[in-house]
Amino acid sequence: MKKIYYVLSLLLISLGAWTVMAAEDQCIACHTGLGDAPSTLFKKDIHQQKGVSCADCHGGDRTADDPDKAMSKDHGYKGVPKGNNIIKACINCHDNADKMKTFGSSLKTNQFKLFATSVHGGTSLDGAEWVAQCTTCHGAHGVSPVASPSSPVYPTNVIKTCSKCHSNPQYMKQYNPSLPVDQLEKYHTSMHGKLNAKGNTEVAECASCHGSHNIYKPSDARSTVYAIKLPATCSKCHSDAEKMKKYNIPTDQYEKYAGSVHGKALLEKHDVGAPACNDCHGNHGAMPPGIESISNVCGTCHALNADLFSSSPHKKAFDQRKYPECQTCHSNHAIVPATDALIGVSQGATCVKCHSPQESSKGYEAAKVMRHLLDTLSASEQSAAAIVEDALQKGMEVGEAKFKLRDVHQARLESRTMVHSFSVPKFQEVIDKGMKVSAEVSHEGQGALDEYRFRRYGLGVATGIITLLSLLVYLYIRRLEKK
Amino acid sequence: MKKIYDWFNERLQLEDLVHFLGKKYVPIHSHSVWYYFGGISVFLFIIQVSTGILLLLYYKAGEDQAFESILFIMSKVQFGWLIRSIHSWAANLFVLSAVIHMFSVYFEKAYRKPREMTWVTGMLMLFLLLGFGFSGYLLPWNELAFFATKVGTDIMGVIPVVGKPIMVLLRGGEEVTGATLTRFFGFHVAVLPGIFTVLISLHLIFVQRQGMSETEEFSNTPENEKGKMPFFPNFLLRDLLLWLLVLNILAILAVFFPWELGHKADAFASAPAGIRPEWYFMFMFQSLKLIPAKILFIDGELLGILSFGLAFALWLFVPFWDRKTAQGHRNRFLNYLGIFVIAFILLMTIYGWLS
Repeated sequence: MKKIYYVLSLLLISLGAWTVMAAEDQCIACHTGLGDAPSTLFKKDIHQQKGVSCADCHGGDRTADDPDKAMSKDHGYKGVPKGNNIIKACINCHDNADKMKTFGSSLKTNQFKLFATSVHGGTSLDGAEWVAQCTTCHGAHGVSPVASPSSPVYPTNVIKTCSKCHSNPQYMKQYNPSLPVDQLEKYHTSMHGKLNAKGNTEVAECASCHGSHNIYKPSDARSTVYAIKLPATCSKCHSDAEKMKKYNIPTDQYEKYAGSVHGKALLEKHDVGAPACNDCHGNHGAMPPGIESISNVCGTCHALNADLFSSSPHKKAFDQRKYPECQTCHSNHAIVPATDALIGVSQGATCVKCHSPQESSKGYEAAKVMRHLLDTLSASEQSAAAIVEDALQKGMEVGEAKFKLRDVHQARLESRTMVHSFSVPKFQEVIDKGMKVSAEVSHEGQGALDEYRFRRYGLGVATGIITLLSLLVYLYIRRLEKK
Repeated sequence: MKKIYDWFNERLQLEDLVHFLGKKYVPIHSHSVWYYFGGISVFLFIIQVSTGILLLLYYKAGEDQAFESILFIMSKVQFGWLIRSIHSWAANLFVLSAVIHMFSVYFEKAYRKPREMTWVTGMLMLFLLLGFGFSGYLLPWNELAFFATKVGTDIMGVIPVVGKPIMVLLRGGEEVTGATLTRFFGFHVAVLPGIFTVLISLHLIFVQRQGMSETEEFSNTPENEKGKMPFFPNFLLRDLLLWLLVLNILAILAVFFPWELGHKADAFASAPAGIRPEWYFMFMFQSLKLIPAKILFIDGELLGILSFGLAFALWLFVPFWDRKTAQGHRNRFLNYLGIFVIAFILLMTIYGWLS
C-alpha cells in the first residue's frame, strides 16, 4: 500500500511539473536565464502583468523550450520589429477594443487614428516610416501605465521624453529648421516648469497643451495651441477655480479676455493676428510680465504707443509708484477698445485716477485740454463727413473730398496714439493737421452743395428763358399765320 | 436790321435765297407731324458736334487718362458736368429721334422713287449713329463700358471668315485694351464724323432738291384742296419751337439725371452684374441670348447675327425691292412687316431690361 502511495505521489509531482513547464512562457524563462535587459525590463512591464507574451509582439512559439523551435519562422517568429512594424505590433491590440477587454483594460483604442493624422504621423526622413513610433515615447520592454511615475510620459517625465528630440538641434533641423529647440530651457524658467520640477503633476507640461497622440503644428487649425483655440486650452486649468485655489490666482482671465478687444478679434472675428495668452505671457516660458516690462510686451504690437510712453513723463512716475504701465489705464485681460472717453477729466476718464485740480493740477489741465482738442477734431470730422454725404446724396462728384476724409480720420487715430506722449504741444500738432484737412473737406463739400444749388437755380433760369423764347416763337407764328 | 440785311444782300445776293426758300412749301396733312423728326435729328446732331468739340478740349484718350479726364470734366471744369451730360443724353435722344424719323419715312413709303438715295443715306447715317453710340460708350473707360464693349466685339467675332479680323481691327488686338480705347476714340471723333458729314450733306441736298415727300393720299388730293405751308419762315419757326422744347428737355435731364461715370475699368476684375448694352442694342442682345446654342447643325448665335445682318440689308434696300409701292399700289405687307419689327424691337427691349 505504501508503494502505491509512493508511485501515485511521483505521478502527481511529474504531472504538476509538466503542467508548470507547459504554462510557463518559455521566452521569459530562457531570456531570464540569459540575464538580458529586455527580459529584465519586461518583468515590470504592464503588458507582462496583463498576460501579454513576448511572442505577441515578436512572434514565435512561447511554449517551446527549444530556442530553435521557439524562434523558428515556421512558428511565426518575426524578431525585433523595425520601423512601422513597431506600431503595427502595438495596434494589434491597442486598436482593437474587444481584444483590450480580454486583458481587462479600459484604455481607449483610438490612439493610432489620432496619431496617423498628427505631425508625428508624418513620414520620416527616409520616407519609409512614421516620424515617431509608440516606443519613442512609451519605451519598449518596460512600458508602464501613463499614471505610473515610472512611465516616460508621466507628467514629470514627459518633459524629458519630448525634449529627447525637441531639444536636439541636429535632429530637429532635419524636419523643421525654423522650429526653436529651446522649449525645455524656457519651460524650466516658467512657473509651470518650476512646479513640475518640484514634482507637481497638475501643472501644465507638454502634453497638457499640445495633446499626446493628436499633436499638430501650432499653425494647424486642429491643434489645441492654434491661436483661436489657445485661450480655451489655457483656461482648461486657469478657469478651474478648484484647481487654481491653492495657487491663489484668479480664474476670470478667460472671461475677461473673451470680452476684450483682443478676445473679440481672435475668438469672434477669427483674426489670428490678434494676441492670445501666449503673446503676452510667453508660451513655454509662461510668466506674467513684470510691471516695468508691460509696455514692452504691449509694444510688440503697439510699438508707437510704447515708444511715446517710454519717453513721456509718465514712464518715470509710473516706475516710481510701481504702477503697471499700459495696464493702469487700459486694464490687462479685459482691455476694451480705447475711446476718447478714456482721456480728460470727466466721469469715466482714466486721468482723474491720479490727477486732480488740487494735486498735480498741471496734468489735470493737460488732460482737459487734450480731451477738448480731441472732441473738436471729432466734431469737425463728423461735420465734414455729413457735408460730403449730403453732397453725395445730391449726386455731386465729391470723390476727392471723400478720399481726404480718410486723412482726417487718420489724424484722429494718430492723435489717439499721440496721447501717449502726454505732451500738449505734440498732441496739438497732430490735431491741427487733422483740423486743416477737415476744413478743406468741408470747404470742398460745401462747394459741391453750392454748385448743386447753382445748378438747380441755373436750370430754373435757363428753362425760364427757353420757355419764354418758345412762347415768343409761338406768338410770332400765330401772328404770321393770321395775316 | 434792314440796313444789315441790305449790306449783306448787296454783296451776297440774299434775295435769290429768300426767293428760293419762299417758294418752298411743306405739305400739310394728318401725318405732317412726322416731318419734324428730321429737323429734331439735325438739331441734336448740331448739339452733339458742339458738345463733342467742347469735351475734346479736356478729354484724354488712354487707359490711364480717359476715366480721370472725364472725372476732371465732371468735377473741375466749369459746366463740364453739363456739357458731358447733355452730350450723353443728346446721343440717346438723337438715336430715338432718328429711329422715329426712319419708321415714319418707312410707313409713309417716302423712300419710293425718286427718293431712294435719300432713304439709303438716311439708313447709312442711322448705322453710323449706332457706331457713334458703340464707340462713345467706351470712351469714359468705366467698368460697364469695358465689359459691354468686350461682349459687343465678341459677338462680331462670331461672324465666319470676316468676323475675327473685324474684331481684331476694332480692338486693336485680341483683347479689349487701351489700344481699343484709342481706336474707338479715333472712330468716334474722326472717322465716323467725317463720313457722317458727307452723308448728312447729301441727305439734306436731296431733301432740298426733291422737296418734302407727299403721302399717296395727299398726292391724289386736287391741287386747290392741298394744304401747304411755306418752309420759310413758317415751318422753320415750328422747327425752332420744337428745338427749344428739346433743349429744355435736355437741360432738365442733364440737371436731374446727370450721366453717371461709375467705376474705372479694370481688365483683371470680374465682370460686374447687370452688364447691358445701350438700350438701342438691347433688342439684338436679348434676341441673341434667347436663340438656342444650336439650330440644326448651325451655331445659334451665328445664325442670329447673320439673320440680323440680312434683315438690316433688306431694310436698307427696301426702295429697290418694294415693287408694289413703286408701281403706285398700296403695299400692306410692308406695313405689317413694319409693325412686326416695331413690336419685336419693343418686346425684346422690355424683356431685356426686365431680365
